[in-house]
Amino acid sequence: MRDREIDQALERAAQAPHEVNPGLLERIVGSLKSSMRPVRPLPPTWVLAGGLVLICAAIALTGAARAGFYGIEKLSVLERALIFPTLGILVWVAAVEFVSEMIPGSRCIVAPGALLKIGCLALLGVFAMLFRDYRTDHFVSAGVACLMTGLLHAVPTGLVSWWLLRRGFAVNSVPAGLVGGTLAGLAGVTMLELHCANFEALHVLLWHTAVVPVSGAAGALVAWTLRLRSGSAAHERNSPE
Amino acid sequence: MYGPALNDVDMTPVDGAREHVDNSKVCVKTLYAMVPDSNLEMLMARYQEGDFAAATALIDRLSPQLHRFFLAQFASRADADDLLQETWLRIHKVRHTYRPSEPMLPWFYAIARRVRVDHYRKAIRTTAREHRLEEMSEVAAALPGESDRTDDLEALLAPLPQSQREVIEMMKVAGMSLEEVARATSSSVGSVKQKVHRAYEKLRGKMSAMGLSKGRSGGLS
Repeated sequence: MRDREIDQALERAAQAPHEVNPGLLERIVGSLKSSMRPVRPLPPTWVLAGGLVLICAAIALTGAARAGFYGIEKLSVLERALIFPTLGILVWVAAVEFVSEMIPGSRCIVAPGALLKIGCLALLGVFAMLFRDYRTDHFVSAGVACLMTGLLHAVPTGLVSWWLLRRGFAVNSVPAGLVGGTLAGLAGVTMLELHCANFEALHVLLWHTAVVPVSGAAGALVAWTLRLRSGSAAHERNSPE
Repeated sequence: MYGPALNDVDMTPVDGAREHVDNSKVCVKTLYAMVPDSNLEMLMARYQEGDFAAATALIDRLSPQLHRFFLAQFASRADADDLLQETWLRIHKVRHTYRPSEPMLPWFYAIARRVRVDHYRKAIRTTAREHRLEEMSEVAAALPGESDRTDDLEALLAPLPQSQREVIEMMKVAGMSLEEVARATSSSVGSVKQKVHRAYEKLRGKMSAMGLSKGRSGGLS
């Protein structure tokens, strides 16, 4: 049997008339009537994504300004020219993807899981290429401090980003949370690159990059918890007792 | 404000129709029903502006294919009715998330899929609470054969997994392109193509088997 014959069989079957109970349609129309009012559509993707990039930049710059721009001052021109454009591209892609996740039927440029992997690999690649100091002085204590600093800047980024996209509707909330967390994590890494003057390769490779997956996982976890709670709340509302 | 959709040449009869809203809603509905499929986007833009007749026309136009979409996902007719109603309520609530420059059907089906998933999760929770999980799995397994569906399409698609079935439904019933199905299912065009290919493989096997049994028995059993 050829594909064309399957096509024809499906098309024949699809053309068969399908009626919906007119009473049901009237009920639906009636239920919408009372709340029919004009609504303002969401702005274009580039406007929302631009807003998200500005939020990331503002929080990273504010955090670094408060803690000191020691990192960027110590970086060479080549290092700056590689690290910050890479972060800029990743933040832009993550912002566009976050907007897509919050608007039903949007084009998906990269899957949320793939975005996280690509982001981590890109950062690891750039850091491995630039930093060759393999000492590990105060590896854990300095590393945990950097991880916490990065995450502390990721949290407000995530919250403000969510506020910006609050009118959106995530059809898949966990992937949306993962992308939001990844975006926030990238803002945290940007702050660390501006601030942290510890250029030991393993420190940067492990503790700076770790901000992105930890933040992404936290975003997904928060979204999953919220979905679970909203589902339970809806269930409670709908239960007969 | 709403971009090219509202400046479309095909809008002339609709603009005319809007002038009669107060005088004759029936007239408006009839004229909206004449709007070709490509102008669903324009109807949606009118709906966002608060035009009740446009909302009614959209409901009339899209409900049958949406109902069929739910029915093909192994829901009973009663479930499909509930899901249809729930979908329109959800669409109404988030209608501002549709951007007039974007294709409408992917937006519409993305929300319908979400409603279906929520319904499924709710059913699981309800069943868990009532300690009837075993019974539910039996019912779910039995649904294709014993539901009140008489349509050939649902019967044809019955052996396919849900992910393949929904893709075929969107393409064959809603007439969506691969790109639009990819948008509606939050996946890539390549992934949709793969699902279609696998679905066709299964359908080929099933239809060939039907053809053989038909040949042997002299008709469909």
